[in-house]
Amino acid sequence: MTQDLRSLVEDLRERLAVARLGGSAAAREKHTARGKMLVRDRVDRLLDPGSAFLELSPLAATGMYGAPGETPVPSAGIVTGIGRISGRECVVVANDATVKGGTYYPVTVKKHLRAQQVAADNSLPCVYLVDSGGAFLPLQDEVFPDREHFGRIFFNQANLSARGIPQVASVMGSCTAGGAYVPAMSDETVIVKEQGTIFLGGPPLVKAATGEVVTAEELGGGDVHARTSGVVDHLAEDDAHALAIVRSIVSTFERPPHRATGSTPWEVREVEEPAEDPETLYDVVPADTRTPYDVREVIRRVVDGSRFQEFKKLYGETLVTGFAHIWGHPVGIVANNGILFSESALKGAHFIELCNQRGIPLVFLQNISGFMVGREYENKGIARDGAKLVTAVACSVVPKFTVVIGGSFGAGNYGMCGRAYDPRFLWMWPNARISVMGGEQAASVLATVAGRPEDEDLKAPIREQYETQGSPYYATARLWDDGVIDPADTRRVLGMGLAAAAHAPIPAPSYGVFRM
Amino acid sequence: MRTPLPFRTLLVANRGEIALRVFRTAARLGVRTVAIHTDLDATAPHVRAADDAVRVGSYLDVDEVVAAAVAVGADAVHPGYGFLSERSAFASALEAAGVTLVGPSAQVMEQMGRKDLARDVAVAAGVPVVPSYALDDDPATFAYPVLVKAAAGGGGKGMRVVRSAAELPEARAAAAREAASAFGDDTLLVEKYVERGRHLEVQVVGDAHGTVLAFGERDCSTQRRHQKVLEEAPAPTIDEATRAEIARAAVALASRVGYVGAGTVELLLDDATGEFYFLEMNTRLQVEHPVTELVHGVDLVELQLHVASGGRLDGPIDGHGPSTPSGHAIEARVYAEDAFGGFLPQAGRADLVRWPSGPGIRVDHALESGQVVSTSYDPMLGKVIAHGPDRESARQALLRALEGTAVTGLTTNTGFLRALVASDEFRDAAIDTAWLDRHELAPPTADEARLFAAWTSAYAVSPAAGAGGDRASHPFQADGWRLAGPSAPVVVELDRPVTVEHARLGVPGTVDDVRVTAVAVDELRPGHEVVLEVDGRRRRAVVDVRAHTVEVVLDGQRHVFTRPDVTADSGPAAGDGSVVAPMPGTVLDVRVAEGQQVTAGELLGVMEAMKMEFALTAPYDGVVTAVDAVAGKQVALGARLFEVTGTDQA
Repeated sequence: MTQDLRSLVEDLRERLAVARLGGSAAAREKHTARGKMLVRDRVDRLLDPGSAFLELSPLAATGMYGAPGETPVPSAGIVTGIGRISGRECVVVANDATVKGGTYYPVTVKKHLRAQQVAADNSLPCVYLVDSGGAFLPLQDEVFPDREHFGRIFFNQANLSARGIPQVASVMGSCTAGGAYVPAMSDETVIVKEQGTIFLGGPPLVKAATGEVVTAEELGGGDVHARTSGVVDHLAEDDAHALAIVRSIVSTFERPPHRATGSTPWEVREVEEPAEDPETLYDVVPADTRTPYDVREVIRRVVDGSRFQEFKKLYGETLVTGFAHIWGHPVGIVANNGILFSESALKGAHFIELCNQRGIPLVFLQNISGFMVGREYENKGIARDGAKLVTAVACSVVPKFTVVIGGSFGAGNYGMCGRAYDPRFLWMWPNARISVMGGEQAASVLATVAGRPEDEDLKAPIREQYETQGSPYYATARLWDDGVIDPADTRRVLGMGLAAAAHAPIPAPSYGVFRM
Repeated sequence: MRTPLPFRTLLVANRGEIALRVFRTAARLGVRTVAIHTDLDATAPHVRAADDAVRVGSYLDVDEVVAAAVAVGADAVHPGYGFLSERSAFASALEAAGVTLVGPSAQVMEQMGRKDLARDVAVAAGVPVVPSYALDDDPATFAYPVLVKAAAGGGGKGMRVVRSAAELPEARAAAAREAASAFGDDTLLVEKYVERGRHLEVQVVGDAHGTVLAFGERDCSTQRRHQKVLEEAPAPTIDEATRAEIARAAVALASRVGYVGAGTVELLLDDATGEFYFLEMNTRLQVEHPVTELVHGVDLVELQLHVASGGRLDGPIDGHGPSTPSGHAIEARVYAEDAFGGFLPQAGRADLVRWPSGPGIRVDHALESGQVVSTSYDPMLGKVIAHGPDRESARQALLRALEGTAVTGLTTNTGFLRALVASDEFRDAAIDTAWLDRHELAPPTADEARLFAAWTSAYAVSPAAGAGGDRASHPFQADGWRLAGPSAPVVVELDRPVTVEHARLGVPGTVDDVRVTAVAVDELRPGHEVVLEVDGRRRRAVVDVRAHTVEVVLDGQRHVFTRPDVTADSGPAAGDGSVVAPMPGTVLDVRVAEGQQVTAGELLGVMEAMKMEFALTAPYDGVVTAVDAVAGKQVALGARLFEVTGTDQA
């Protein structure tokens, strides 16, 4: 870990540029030769002209499903994210047919479900741009049967619709088998003529099952579904037309309550740029997570006007807490500035309660190697105080946002709102590390347990495993986060997350038993 | 000459730019001004500009207008041009009512207004006239081509060029019909038609004391179907001897009839022979009088008022006599017409009107932003006039002025005028009176206008266009932000999608790969004025971005881009040409047979069901390939009645 932040960001940009290409050049050529747009072009055209787009986990499936070092399913073959359509923020889920025909790998399913979770948490309408051959059959056991597998997509569609969160689908290619339920389960559906098809069983399956010989168009083409079956509601001439129809459909949605009444769950102020340019983060944050620095330098480059109203500044100093605004939204910031002690855990729990009391969203800036260990601290009950922090985080009702800006190790991950604690969004910086403990510590522990504390042959592979698995790209490939971000974009993505979260009301807070 | 006028109140029996023009001089001279207006013009600019206004049923109603003049105590009436300006009956009625007409007497008007009588005057004054024929002569003896024209009126109405004896009867009938409806008089003349000629005219002003002055000549050869388009002074193609000769002839003619007031002697210069002929005399102020005013430094309306009140012309006139012309002036008439669309008259609301200004530029107009232009009156919206030290500098100034003229909401001929002024032919003064009838100007391409439309549309949605300038307002703002990658371009839906990158002031960007940098963007109401550097060349346009259309006025030409209509979807998909029974019922009528060509929407048959009639129509253009419907036959729901195979599928 000696690379500086700039070169790490350069590496991130390169990885993203490759992922954004989608499938192979040949697959893309074949796709566009049919008059179809590439998936990210579809998203661009779907969104309001020039709308910003918060793409979620674009590096999903990095290094998975292929030979070591290869990524045969870039972005997991699906583009998800939040952007504006007809003036309102929507979740977009779009298959990339140039990647394995848009079929669903296990991480593809996970990414689709995650997008629906984002829609559910933030009350955002869903638009599905369907172009998928359905489940990736060789991995059907990891895709089909379980609770969080393929069927959950339709379960979610039904329940989101039941909650009044609109579901719209545009069928822009094949939409086979289980996939056929995406348009069928949607509130309103568009199909592209002579391009989109919807059927439970495709022509080969029909032939195998009943001997009937039928073309895809006759079986489930746009004309059939628009005119005869009623599976779709609009017949579009081409991709661009279909996307325009979707935009007009979204324009008919009821305004979300905060738009109708002009009120958000919290008051949104006028936006103020930070006094310190976020780009200067590269100069103040050491890339090596072991080098200490003052996390306030990060906060100053994230919040409006670089203004930070600190809470309990002089107590539990290894955890920095305080109030600020990001893109006009009020936030309570909880940021690590060293290892967690009892006092810092208590301070954090107190501050989180304040934010819940006041309905202020929480932002966790996570850079934690863990809680302090050792007899003195264990005997004083650091586990008890850590539990208070974890309880406060777990029971929080205000939207939470986590950015892993450095290490994310052990119980520190829990107390600082790791993925398991349901932050609305979790992003990682490219210098972040995540594992149950550090590689060196894990190697020592395992070697000690094995009775060979000095055995390098034992320790080296463990270190190597932790090094690999602790990488933010290993994490983002598996959707442990919503994406690896350029640190300079921290403010922007937090603003987007806050703007999205402002669509959903905050319930009343209540907590489990705090161990005193 | 600025002796106080005896007039206290002047009524202008006109509307539009000429009414405003007369008011300006009257107000400067301390004369109270009165407008007349119809209901349609109740809030028109000329009504607002006047001190007082009287409603009339029609600008052409002599009794009403005279009554209005009497009612407001007007001691003089200026008729402008058109309407009652050359009606001798109006002159007589005013005289009877004791109100001074700013113009010649009824008798002179009568004499000069009729082409046949005026021709006799010209002959008597020794002014050459176009060889003519008597209507009852044998048409076989005419030297063709000949021109058949109305004895009364002007402006090209009731005129026909006839190239053979065989065409004559029909041309005569048509000309007579037009003359009767336009002037209430179907008397016709037949004369030699000059194929290539230049239209020259001399501005004269005569006083009641026998002095007639000529204020040089104008060349109005750039005409379309005898309607003047561009006018200039002095005439660019004649030598000084001819110039002096036509001035002398015009003065002789006006003196002959004892002409009092401003008038114009129109002459035709035969390109082939260099000879000139008397055409007619207009006994009023001309539309194109400003070019004379600019070159001669006179106010012709002031002179009109001066001589109408008995003033003399034989003294010095403000130090600027007719003998001291200075420079060159060119006028372009801006009309509400689609010059590149068959010159069809246009009507509607002029959302934004921007007239040019600057040194050497004069604009006489009566069109303001938000004004509704109807087809009830003359479609001329205004006149843009440029004055320069010589013809080329005046032409360049006029070009810039026309480029700076912008009307949105309504199509005008400004782009056409600009193209015409820019043409080599006009530059070389090679345009004769029939040139525009022989040539068609190429319409400007829409490419650059589309670029402006796209760039401005992208700019309008960007944070830069917000109230706070280039400031962040919302994290989902339209800045194309993408996670650690290049920002997304803006795709603007126009008549086709256009991709715009970096629509920001001062930032190099592209529009469909053309390099564009915005130099300035100004908010207009409504719209924007945008200055872009397009591939290194600085261009300026007015752009109005709306939900469904984007309008661009570039080089005076209005371009309207209509976004695709999303809702025009779900039409019958090609491949299903079956027309089926929409209800169970009875076929009433079958209108087509197998093999018949039909167009989309064409009626194929009619059926009745549930006491209602249903029209069965072709889903698209094609051929009827099957007719199953039989009149009187009962059919079930969904039964195929017709089959149409699309033209593009055959």
